[in-house]
Amino acid sequence: MSLGTLRATRLVRALVLLTFAGCAGSPSERGPVTLVFKYARILGNADPLPSLLREFEAQHPGVRVKGEALPWASDDQHQFYVINLEGRSPGFDVMMLDCIWVPEFARAGWLLDLTPHLQPAELAPFFPSAVAAATYDHRIWALPWNMNVGLLYYRTDLLAKHGLAPPETYEALVEQVRLIRARERDPALDGYLWQGKQYEGLVVNVLEALWANGARLITDDGDAFPEPARAADALRFLRGLITTGVSPAWTTAADEELSRRAFGDGHAIFLRNWPYARDLFEAEGSAVRGKVAFTTLPGRARGEPGAGSTGGAHLGVSRRSRHPALAVALARHLTSERAQRAIALGAALSPTRQALYHDEELVRRNPAMPRLHALSLAGRPRPVTPYYLLVSATVQPEFSAALVGVKVPERAIEDTRVRLGHFLGALR
Amino acid sequence: MLLLAPTAVALGALTVYPAAWVLWLSLQHRVPIFGVSRFAGLDNFAFLTIDARFWSAAHTTAVFTVASVALEVVLGVAAALAINAQRRGRAVALSFLLLAWAMPAVVAAKLFEWLYHPVAGLINVALGRHALNWLGDPGIALAAVTLADVWRTMPFVAILCYARLLAIPADLYEAAQVDGAGRLATLTRITLPLLGRILLLAVLFRTLDALRAFDIMFVLTGGGPANTTETLTVYAYRALFQTLQLGFGSALSVVVFVLVMGVAWAYLRILRTGSVAA
Repeated sequence: MSLGTLRATRLVRALVLLTFAGCAGSPSERGPVTLVFKYARILGNADPLPSLLREFEAQHPGVRVKGEALPWASDDQHQFYVINLEGRSPGFDVMMLDCIWVPEFARAGWLLDLTPHLQPAELAPFFPSAVAAATYDHRIWALPWNMNVGLLYYRTDLLAKHGLAPPETYEALVEQVRLIRARERDPALDGYLWQGKQYEGLVVNVLEALWANGARLITDDGDAFPEPARAADALRFLRGLITTGVSPAWTTAADEELSRRAFGDGHAIFLRNWPYARDLFEAEGSAVRGKVAFTTLPGRARGEPGAGSTGGAHLGVSRRSRHPALAVALARHLTSERAQRAIALGAALSPTRQALYHDEELVRRNPAMPRLHALSLAGRPRPVTPYYLLVSATVQPEFSAALVGVKVPERAIEDTRVRLGHFLGALR
Repeated sequence: MLLLAPTAVALGALTVYPAAWVLWLSLQHRVPIFGVSRFAGLDNFAFLTIDARFWSAAHTTAVFTVASVALEVVLGVAAALAINAQRRGRAVALSFLLLAWAMPAVVAAKLFEWLYHPVAGLINVALGRHALNWLGDPGIALAAVTLADVWRTMPFVAILCYARLLAIPADLYEAAQVDGAGRLATLTRITLPLLGRILLLAVLFRTLDALRAFDIMFVLTGGGPANTTETLTVYAYRALFQTLQLGFGSALSVVVFVLVMGVAWAYLRILRTGSVAA
């Protein structure tokens, strides 16, 4: 754009503004500002968000905030963002992001770099793994909003009845399953439920098994399976859980809800799932109410201690927002301690601010909060890379093939390395 | 000529332009969000020839197409004959058929998700101790998905055939009866040959749909386990919309397009030669 057209544009814009200001009869130079906030209605019946948005409006006179719903499924949300952000005008300012998208969107240049807007210690109260997931190229691109971590749920009644303490290793878990099932003689009682369907959840479950065995999926340099033998052993172990009957055959079709329901109906001893399941187990009418506790995911006997995979939602600001300062303020408002407490109370989503896990009101509502804090703190993020979706889409069928026995683990790992090498190579 | 112009422009804008654009994309390495955009020649297609996932998807698509269309034809004709033989309640039977057919694929898939539920599903409860891992066993997942699709699309074949059956003049059957033809002879000598042409049309439509099958497997299995239910369109969707590899995904789409066009062309040739009596 030449200087001349720039001036002309400015002149036109000024004229338009003047006209509108005249119409409204307002002396203010800034017209009413509308911020658009895109989020998924994950917050259930007592959605605390509308009142949080009204609160922000009250603090910022002349600003209107419109909350707009995203599609329900995570895949569709991603697709929605890609289509709208790749185009010229996104039509929204603040957006809720699955934490695995943040580096991708940052690399694509769609997110506002929040680093200059942040105070030096502003992120200290958050979980380090959540901040790590929002960091790309040493800069911060989103604010952590809610937290998720993989947990091991167990039946306190069954373990107590047989004099067992929650297992610290997978080997111990397998032993306990054998023991309890042999003594209970209940054919409908399954051992250990987890998510083995070919989807993102499978990647999370396999990652946790890899970590427990001292293996990684991908290095920071993009090399897949730097410890191939340990990775193969982890996959073989998972397959073994199914072939030996410790986990039911349908584990290979199980997602979070399928496994959560079976455990919630009282049909299993152990379950790997996210914190949301606890509220459902403790709900009135639940078959396992008062009989469930959670602990850290097991490690391996000769490996590392277990750690759950972390996840959750972040709030990012569109780089094309016309009101970046206000948009950052809105993201900050929604991730503030007050807002996160309201969300934790109203919608039972776990906060990303650590202090809230010891908040009196929240602990009264959910006595397991301090415990959840320790486990979230020990959790590890999935690989933080702009290519995460490509990595995930590539490994899903390979992990599934190893799990159902179509491929031996070594073959699945080798095939993954070849494919990832090809696709990542084309991106560099 | 001038009068054709609007049609030509509309067709060009709506079909030729996008098709040419996809073809052009398929010759590139293009991942817009990472700023990758360079000419690749036939690289994407060369990779497809050695891509095990592509061949697995092609195989799955072929098996799914043949199995689902064959089952739909057999069950569809049987259903049409059964309704035609019925004296009462034809309207009720037809509306049940239409109900299944009118159901959106995603809704049908959700329905079958519950039917196939490993613990609480109607099918496994009925099977009792012989319960199967419908969607998690690589040996039967494709069959499970195919059955769900057949349930939803068989009515299409049935309704087309039923319409044709109504149009067969009764005196043909009377003549056959006078000539002493039995029920089997009537079926194979009169009814089925007369159904031939409409069946071929139904098979054409169903084959083209089956080659592009997407929603039922996407919802039920996401392509798993071990990619045993991943069709070419599901693979193309993952490349285009999930990993945003526009060039590679377009190459996959071009393959599906060529496949569909080839099949359509072959069917149309058969239809035109009139080798099937109408």
